[in-house]
Amino acid sequence: MIELRDIRYCRLGTRDLSAAEWFATTILGLEVAERTKRALYFKSDSRDHTLCYFEGEPEDQTTAFEVAASEDLDAAATALEAAGSPAARGTAEDSELRRVRDFLSFSDPSGNKIELVLRPAHSARHYHGTRDAGVTGFSHVGLFSTNAARDEVFWTTVFNARVSDRLGDAPLMRINPVHHTIAILPGRKAGIHHINHQVASTDDVQRSNALLRERQIPVVFGPGRHPASSAQFLYFTGPDEVTYEYSVGVRNVDDEPIYRERQLEASARGACQWGAQPVVKLI
Amino acid sequence: MIELEQLRYVRLGTRDLRGASEFATGVLGLQHVRTEADRAYFRSDYRDHTLCYVLTDSDYASFALDVRTAEVLKRAQQALSDFGLKPRFGTDEECADRRVKAFIAFEDRTGNSVEIVLRPLMSGWRYFPSRDTGVRGLLSVALRSKSRDDERLWTSVFNGRISDWVGDACYIRMDRLHHRLSLHPSSQAGLLGVAFEVESIDQVMQAKYFLKSSQIRIKHGPGRQPTSGQMFITFDGPDGMLFSFVTGMSTIADDQTHLPRQFPDVASSYCAWGSEVAIPELAGAESLRDN
Repeated sequence: MIELRDIRYCRLGTRDLSAAEWFATTILGLEVAERTKRALYFKSDSRDHTLCYFEGEPEDQTTAFEVAASEDLDAAATALEAAGSPAARGTAEDSELRRVRDFLSFSDPSGNKIELVLRPAHSARHYHGTRDAGVTGFSHVGLFSTNAARDEVFWTTVFNARVSDRLGDAPLMRINPVHHTIAILPGRKAGIHHINHQVASTDDVQRSNALLRERQIPVVFGPGRHPASSAQFLYFTGPDEVTYEYSVGVRNVDDEPIYRERQLEASARGACQWGAQPVVKLI
Repeated sequence: MIELEQLRYVRLGTRDLRGASEFATGVLGLQHVRTEADRAYFRSDYRDHTLCYVLTDSDYASFALDVRTAEVLKRAQQALSDFGLKPRFGTDEECADRRVKAFIAFEDRTGNSVEIVLRPLMSGWRYFPSRDTGVRGLLSVALRSKSRDDERLWTSVFNGRISDWVGDACYIRMDRLHHRLSLHPSSQAGLLGVAFEVESIDQVMQAKYFLKSSQIRIKHGPGRQPTSGQMFITFDGPDGMLFSFVTGMSTIADDQTHLPRQFPDVASSYCAWGSEVAIPELAGAESLRDN
């Protein structure tokens, strides 16, 4: 059992870096941490970066999780081999690109590209958002799955993921007390379903709702409240059709032994207790 | 100084009593108490009623506050007369209609009709809403005002205190809550809106989606008042009246130390979330001039 400590970053390929920069800063409110010839690194909290857009294909999407020790990477390589998802150790050059000491890359059974990183760079510099969006940090990711039940087994047996709740067959999984850090959602092919950033308050969700609509950024779901995690949310569309989410008020699972996952319906009602309807099939 | 106790009820004229009643129960979720010929009464809390629809001209609108004793009521009559208004005591029949022991009715300088009541009826029975809108009670009313004298009426004749101003609009409190009454400069007279408190943000936001699906026009919000901190959604009711569901109004603990703040007369002083507003009185000076 490999312990994932936290989610770390997403790396997204794009053919239009400047459009991605405009969105990530002007709309999402992130801060450019570093600019290289072929990539842009964005800060959302005290970490060096939590989002990276690089010149490449939009289908090239990676999500990274942090592990605590070098031994975890070795153990993960063995466990992934046994689980039928062989992993490759990252090169020094690729580690440098990711601002980590070492990493392992593999694909989950659906084909989502995942990295396990060791000693990712922190930052002494305060995060100062481009706009007052109230972003407190990158928090979770939703991944498309071609077989949610199979992928749930993968994440909960190879790794320390625990199911917090299910919407239909879609598990919301935690790797620490936060209700969910990985959501597995049924889809036709692998890919990032959504990227979540936490904001500081209800006001931030609602003010962004007004701002996004004014800027004609498609709001695809919300404002709403998830019955499962109790988080207030807003989903909207970013570059290359990647969905982003702001949310506030996600619950913690503090008492592991007595917590029991619950089954919610895979519908708008199961995903929002305020009555919001997703404009696309998000769940 | 006349001590007012509580905001008690609103009485609204309607040309369609059945339609207004359906709105009160089906949309607001209030509990129907009784319908008598040309009256329909609705509860929102522990009181006998807080909303009464009267089959008459739809311009008719009044609201009531209560005083504690008959002596205070008498003093109120005197004080209002001294202020240059024309208060009158209600007849026995009118008292019975309002479920109060006695009352005086008057119009403020603008022409808004107000009632000061004594011993209004309460109900010993638990409030049981028609629909789960999370209503906890009648919270505040908003009045149009054509005269600066109206502010003086509430703060010098009565015990109202200014909590904040937005331009010349003012929020007036009578207890710890930020406001029970707000006055909004307007070219017309009349009650602008009636606000019911709901349990939490959940009910405000549920109302948004419910109203949309019911094709009831949302005029303002969901939003948050920068002045009172309350979250609100304001929508069209029958006969041109606005209704709001609100939650989270701030309290003012110390009357002595509270200094009313002056907010600019702009739309963002009425909503910190940037919601759209379709109410001229709440859209800021620019918009009011355009009207």
